Amino acid sequence: MEERLYDLIFILRPDTPEAEIDKIIATLQHAVEEKHAKVEKVEKWGTRRMAYRVKKLREGFYVYMVLRSSHGELLKELERRLRVSDAVIKYLTIRLDEEVKRKEKLGRRRERRAARRPKKAAPAAAGAEQTAAANG
Amino acid sequence: MPDENPVPQTPAAPPAAAPSGRPPGGRPAGPHRRGKRQFLRKKKVCRFCVEKVDLIDYKKADVLQSFIQERGKILPRRMTGTCARHQRWLTVAIKRAQNIALLPFSAEL
Repeated sequence: MEERLYDLIFILRPDTPEAEIDKIIATLQHAVEEKHAKVEKVEKWGTRRMAYRVKKLREGFYVYMVLRSSHGELLKELERRLRVSDAVIKYLTIRLDEEVKRKEKLGRRRERRAARRPKKAAPAAAGAEQTAAANG
Repeated sequence: MPDENPVPQTPAAPPAAAPSGRPPGGRPAGPHRRGKRQFLRKKKVCRFCVEKVDLIDYKKADVLQSFIQERGKILPRRMTGTCARHQRWLTVAIKRAQNIALLPFSAEL
């Protein structure tokens, strides 16, 4: 199975101690590596205001991870862990590889077009000059 | 008509020349058009096309913010000038952002 790219964001209670946060991240990373998947990025966004109240809280500590895995099962497992963790108030996993693929495709197409257009424009201009010269 | 009373938060892109300037300025000199006509005149360009965006990031809440109303509704294409394709991506991005509390589903009063 081909590898898929996932975004995983979870929100912790803002009063979670730093050590606890690191522990949660470490256990997740461990679980990921156990399944021979990769953690591409871990970002702690820190405490920020949420757009609405979650579990009666207005703020939350955001953690953002990017994963690359070929086991869909892994995500299930991670979600289960997040669900049972008391500190986690919200989480979201998003599969992104298809969109990234689309983005790359569009980018390539744009490059190709950019490469082609000047060539096309040049002969046309040259042709115009020639006819102008012929007429003059 | 659709284009009247734009929501205050209409994205910054084209509406620079938008209705706010209309009442004092009155209709400009030139062919005697009805007022309505001028609303149809202004050309809105898709902001994402201008910036050549191939992937709308749901994490950039500040960008998405400009495409929702105060109360959290997604602004229609006719307000923002977004092209169909980008609007499609945009709604998905907004909905994802809502799910992780980056954007409100519905802002409280």
